[in-house]
This record gives sequence, C-alpha cells and structure tokens, in this order.
Amino acid sequence: MGMITTRKPPFKWHIVVFLAPAVLVYTAIMIFPMIDTMRLALFSSIDNHQVFVGLKNFKTLFGDPRWSEHFWNALGNNTWFFIIHMLVQNPVGIALAAILSVPTLRFAPAYRTIVIIPTILSFVIVGFSWKLILSPLWGIAPSMLDMIGLKSLFHPWLGKEQYALTTLALISVWQFIGIPMLLIYAALLTIPEEILEAAECDGLTGFSQFWKIKLPLILPSIGIISILTFVGNFNAFDLIFTAQGPVAGPNYSTDILGTFMYRTFFGYQLQLGDPNLGATIASTMFLIILIGVCIYLFTIQRRLRRYQF
Amino acid sequence: MILGALELKNISKSFGNVEVLKDINLDVNEGEFIIFVGPSGCGKSTLLRIIAGLEDATGGEVIISGKNVSALPPSKRGIAMVFQTYALYPHLTVRGNMALGLKQAGTPKAEINQRVELACDLLSLDELIERRPAELSGGQRQRVAIGRAIVRKPELFLFDEPLSNLDAALRVNTRLEIARLHKQLGATMVYVTHDQVEAMTLADRIVVLNETRVEQIGSPMELYNNPANEFVAGFIGSPKMNFIDAERLGIRDAKTIGIRPEHIKADYEKGDWPGQIIHVEHLGSDTNLYVDTKVANPLSVRLFGNHDFKAGETIHMTPLADKTYYFDNDGERVVPADK
Amino acid sequence: MNRARQNIFNMIAAHTLLLAYMVLALFPVFIILINSFKTRRAIFRHPLMPPDTDSFSLTGYETVLKQGDFLHYFQNSMIVTVVSLFFILLFGAMAAFALAEYRFKGNSWMGLYLALGIMIPIRIGTVSILQIMVATGLVNTLTALILVYTAQGLPLAVFILTEFMKQVSNDLKNAGRIDGLSEYAIFFKLVLPLVRPAMATVAVFNMIPIWNDLWFPLILAPAEETKTLTLGSQVFIGQFVTNWNAVLAALSMAIIPVMTLYVFFSRQLIRGITAGAVK
Repeated sequence: MGMITTRKPPFKWHIVVFLAPAVLVYTAIMIFPMIDTMRLALFSSIDNHQVFVGLKNFKTLFGDPRWSEHFWNALGNNTWFFIIHMLVQNPVGIALAAILSVPTLRFAPAYRTIVIIPTILSFVIVGFSWKLILSPLWGIAPSMLDMIGLKSLFHPWLGKEQYALTTLALISVWQFIGIPMLLIYAALLTIPEEILEAAECDGLTGFSQFWKIKLPLILPSIGIISILTFVGNFNAFDLIFTAQGPVAGPNYSTDILGTFMYRTFFGYQLQLGDPNLGATIASTMFLIILIGVCIYLFTIQRRLRRYQF
Repeated sequence: MILGALELKNISKSFGNVEVLKDINLDVNEGEFIIFVGPSGCGKSTLLRIIAGLEDATGGEVIISGKNVSALPPSKRGIAMVFQTYALYPHLTVRGNMALGLKQAGTPKAEINQRVELACDLLSLDELIERRPAELSGGQRQRVAIGRAIVRKPELFLFDEPLSNLDAALRVNTRLEIARLHKQLGATMVYVTHDQVEAMTLADRIVVLNETRVEQIGSPMELYNNPANEFVAGFIGSPKMNFIDAERLGIRDAKTIGIRPEHIKADYEKGDWPGQIIHVEHLGSDTNLYVDTKVANPLSVRLFGNHDFKAGETIHMTPLADKTYYFDNDGERVVPADK
Repeated sequence: MNRARQNIFNMIAAHTLLLAYMVLALFPVFIILINSFKTRRAIFRHPLMPPDTDSFSLTGYETVLKQGDFLHYFQNSMIVTVVSLFFILLFGAMAAFALAEYRFKGNSWMGLYLALGIMIPIRIGTVSILQIMVATGLVNTLTALILVYTAQGLPLAVFILTEFMKQVSNDLKNAGRIDGLSEYAIFFKLVLPLVRPAMATVAVFNMIPIWNDLWFPLILAPAEETKTLTLGSQVFIGQFVTNWNAVLAALSMAIIPVMTLYVFFSRQLIRGITAGAVK
C-alpha cells in the first residue's frame, strides 16, 4: 500500500433529499398512473376479474360498430376542433401581437391586460356565459344581430348539429387567444431594434417588414404555440362538458375524445362505466399526443432554427 | 460648383425636456471621411441616426447631395448604415443579407448578383456567401455588415461605432480595412466612435461633440496641435494633457495652462519643476511617469523609449515653451499678449 | 420616433381593431355581471341595459346563498390552490436546485424524466389515479386533489426553476460554503431568495389551471363537502338551469374572485408568459 490512499468521496445524501419529494410525487401520481392506464387498456373485466386480453380493447374501439362509430366521430370532431384553433386562434393571435408590438402604440399594457381576461375564467363560466348569450330564449345574440340588420343570420348555434362544434371551437378560441398572442408578442419584442432599423434602411417597413423579417424570426414561437394548441385540444373536455353535458349533444355532434373517455369510463344513462375501455381511449389519446409531440420535436423544431441575436 | 455630400443645417434634437443636440451645422465634402467623436451621451449617435432618418430632428435640415431629405424615410435618402451590433438578418444567408435591400428596391436579379459578388470579392467573403450569420465569426459578420452597405452604392456611408464589439486585435485589422475601403470606393463616410485613437487614425476631419454642442471641427493634426478649447485639448491625446492652475505658475492672463505629457522633458539634475516620482509605467516604446510636483499632482510625463526612472526618485521637469496652451475662465483657448 | 415612419391612419386602424377585440373579450363578462343584479323581467326585456332602481334585484344572489354553499366551495378551492402551490414551489425548487447545482450520474436523464410531464397531460392517467385514490381511501378528500395538482405542476416548475437557478452566481454559493453553510442552508438562505421572481411566475402559471379545473374535482372529489368553486358552480347551475337569476348570480360569484386576483397578479402573469417565450 502506498502512502496515498484514494478515498471515495462520501455519498451526497443532500442530492437525494433535494430530489426525493418531487420525484416521488411525480412518479406516483403522474408517471405510474400513465403506465398503469396503458396496462389497464390491455385487460378486460370478466366476472369481476381482470383478464389480460392483449389488444382486444383497441380492436373493439376501432372496429366494433358499437364503439368505433363514437370513437371515429370523437376523433374527427377533435381534429376539426384543432383545425379551427389553428386557422383562427393562431393567425388572429399573431395579428394582435403584431399590432401590439408597434413601439409607438399607446395603451399597449392595458390592451395586453384585457386580452388575458377570458383566459383566466374557468370553463364553467365561459361555457355557461356563452350558452346564455347565444341562447334563443334570452335573445342577446339575435337582438345584437338585429341592431346591425343581420337578424336573419341568427341560428341557435349551440343547438344545431351542423354549427355546434364550430361554435364551441370558436368559444374556446375566444378564451385562449391571449396565450398565443402574448407568446408571439414576447417573441417580437426580442427582435433587436437595430435589425428592424437595418430593415428600414433597406426599405422594408410596415407589412413587408413584418412578412420578410419579423415573421421568419418568430417561426419557432409559432411552432411552440402550435404544439401547445395541439396538446391542449386533444386533451380538452371541460368546455364541451359544461356547455353540452356529458352526452356532447346535439346527437354527439360536439363529442371529442375527452368527453367520450369520460362517458366510457363512468357510464351515463343506461350504459355502465368501463374502466378498461376508458383506459383504452386514454391510451389512444396518449399516443396521438405523443405522435404530435414527436413530430414537433423531431421535424418541425429542427427545421425552425432559433436565432441568436 | 461642387455639391457637398452632406450638409447639416441648425440640427437640434430634444427628447421631451432633455436637449440632446443644439444647433449643429456641418458641411461634408464628397469623398470625405468624417468622424463624430465625444464622450458617451454627447449626442453623436443621435446625430448619426438623424442623418440616417431613423430619428427625427426637432429642428433643422439634413441635406444629402444637395437634396433636402429631412422628411424622407431612411431607404430613400441614399444612405447605408453599418450598425454597432451589425444587425444582420439572422434568417438570411450572407447573400440574402446583402441582396434584401436591392430586391426591395426592385433591382434586376442579374445586377443584384453582380453587386453582391463584387462586394464579396472586395471583402473576401466569397467562401462564406451561403452561410448564415450564426455560422460567422465576429469579424466576418462585421464584413458582411459593411458589404450590405456597399452593395447599395450609397451616396453616404454611416458607421455607428462599428468596431466596439470586436476584440483589440481584430479592431486594428478592421480599422485598416475600413481605411482601405474608403480609398478604394472614394465614398463619403460618416463614422461615430467614442475612441479618439480610431478617430485620429481614420478621419479626414473630426467633429468633437460634447454636451449637445460641436466643440471643434478639424483634421486630426489640427485638433492635436491647435485645440480650440480645454475640452478638445483634454479629449484628444493619450495620456491626457496636463492641466495646471495658471496662478501656480504666476501667469495672469489665463486661467489654466495645458501641456501634453510628451512635451515635458525630465532630468535628474536640473529643470523648472522638481518633484517625486509616484509611479512608472514601462510600455517598451514609451515610459510614462506620474510625478508629484508643486504645480500639479500627478503630473504625467511621456518619454520615448526605455528609461530607468524608479518610483520615489526626485527629478526635475521642464515643459517645452512653444507647446504650452493657455485657456481662459470659460475653457476657451487664448493667446497671451506676450506671445 | 420618426414622423416619416409613423402613420396616423395606421394608428387609428390599430386602435380600432384592438378596441373591437377588447369589447369582444369583455362583453360576456359584462353582460353576466350587469344582469345578475336585475329582476327576471328586466333580464329578458333589456338584457343590454345596466340595472336601474326599477330593475335592481338581488333575488339571484339570495337563492345562491340559500341553496348553494358557495362560501364553503370557495374555501375548498382556496385550500386546494394554496397548498398545491406551496408543494409545487417547495418540491419543484428543491429538485431544480439539485439538477442545476450538482453534477451527479444521471443528472440529465433525471431532468428529462421530470420534463416528460410538461407535454403529456396528467389526465391521461385518470383511470389509474382514481383506482389509487380509491385504494388509499383518498377519494372525496382535498388531499387527493392537492396530490394530483402538485404532480401536474412539478414538471414545468422544475424546468423553469432549473433555468433560473443555473444563473445564480457560483461565487455566491462558494462564498457560503467557505462560511460554513450546509447545502440546505445554501439552498434556503442564499438561492431561494434570489429566484423569488421565478417562483412567483411559476405560482401564477399554476394558480389559474388549478383554480379552474373541473375534471379532477368531478372525478376525485365530487362530494358536497369537498366541492371546489368550479365544480360547485357547475353543479349548481345544472340544477337551477331555468332560474336565470340564480344562474347569473352564481356565474358572477365565480367570476368575481378570479377577477379580483387577476387585478393583483396580471403583471406577474403577463411577465411570466412573456418571459417563458424568451427562453
């Protein structure tokens, strides 16, 4: 033995102490249930026993007409819900942010504050308020349309199959538009003033400056709000549930994956709840969200470089 | 008649109640290299931005090549600007950065390409032409920023502290490059810096600004040899000029006497002002002494070459009589009656 | 700013657009609030008019206070939100400190593991969460909600706080170590005070979704004594659907606390969202 003994450094318990509470709660309440839900999707309850059935639940969900019709309907509705958000929420949000970021604009802080107000209200408030406003019984919407001479355009939008889903999607857009607006607004503010001045010297002002300089530079933020919207939309439930109830009427025309899962899990009216099939829908939602996130991470985010200014 | 490249008439600027520039007048000849220099906050950058059209003057006119451009947007003024942070478009390649302004102006594609290639040639950027700014070094970005200005063939180049983000070695190189470009292009350039060495080495004429006013306009040697006032005398030259209370020297018709460190002789044996050396700086080419004397403490002295003076030693200093400057109560240069 | 660059016409157009949007954003809230103070007849006759002496009525509020236990719901929401935020911040900051400060095996894997939950919503695991809560007897307790919200808030909290803790000067921490402070003291006494702004951001971020959530109260704690304000108003309105006074009053009572909080926290919230984008 030499004179120099190499001593192992003492185990750093404090690292464990710092990490333990978060890791435990997170693992027990978030990660474990997620994995367990996917496990449950592979089981079925037969005579009150959980029996492993492989992918049979998924086959039922996608193929058995009793379920698949609802499933594909909910998936289609959910996709439309997402499309409306992408087509309305994000462009309008970007436009508002572009206007707000004009440095000479006065009252910008006040506008900024007000845009967020719908976002802080709960779905219950938003859902019921719009339901009342659009209700033909109360007549606020028809009388307001009447004021601008468009009364003939009024329909009981939430009550008609062909309008209800789009109307709800627009209500959701109304509620959440503040988020993309603020994110884009912040991204616009990070563009250095000198770059915009250089653009001005190059003759780019106003709209062409926005189109050719600002928009390319905020593309990464647009990518982020798109994926946030995607995850939020395929996980939505509350607004439809409050406005249209668990049956997502009229005639399931507003049913999305969240409400479908809720009904399947808990049952409604005469149908009994089926946790295994509920877990199957949840697993499908998980896969859809996962695919979306992966597409974002591995293709979109890679193409959109984040620029160092 | 030769049209001036740039003329400023009674330019003034205030932000709210704060006056930044007061009644600035300037004539710049074609092909001249003009440098605005002054301490931070003197308004030199604001003045440049007013010429560019990025900032509006509160009063006065900007005339470029005989045309009053005061109400025109930057892109219509025939200027090109090189920014302190380069302000390259991060999403465009070197080519795209240079071409954008021309495309916007509707220049034919063939001509754009030709101009971009010429500029790249001039700045040896040929191999970097398809790269994006993030893939370039600081010096390369600086060259792209200059190239973006060159392709526009402006009547006036504006530089806003273009070297301040470069390290010392690169700064000297880029300085030489800018001087070379100025000769090669024969263009009129207006350049802002707070660094008097940059100003002295590059400028045809220097405009010294201080607290909203022009203190003096002149060639580097005019400013060095004939400073109009105490401020210019102190600002130009390094180490700074020594200022001595005239009373201590028994001089009546001036308030302050100025003498540059390099215009003082030091000797162990004899001289006008004895004193004790506080500190010695050996720079190799020069030796700087800081001396505690009756007339000033410290009095700085700059000797050429190596010298063996040590702190604590007593020496005698003698100013060169024809290199002393006299300033009155307001800091203005005066020539005493007996001279 | 440059005269040549500014265009009055554009400015007017911008303000018109923004004002129109502001009206659209505030209109529903405004309509609900004014009508909640009116008689049933006035609600239907003149829905757009504010209440006057004739039409003023508090019947809706009387029904709500008599029939629903809103004060209790409010208290539940308050407990759930405040306690969840406390644990999110405490546990989140501790984990963030470990990730930001110490180099240990698996550090980056741990960071990645904790970040998974940022993108994947916790609702996916609901079936299993309910089973766990049933098995542990936590169904219909506020504890169940607090646990779920803590787990839900941790991933983003850890992510944001790690970024901020990396910026705390190493010299400061090392100075603390030379002065004999333990790692715990360094965390609580030196680092935590410095990341307070980030903690506030995290808190405001989490506050709204927790307060407004309907899903987990509906599934994990639907009993009368554990109803949150959101679930309570949902159920109440469902029962009183035809009593417009009561519905409007209930909605107003759900709006007012949130709006009051917003007045205090709006700057923090906006700063939080915008700061998040810079990252």
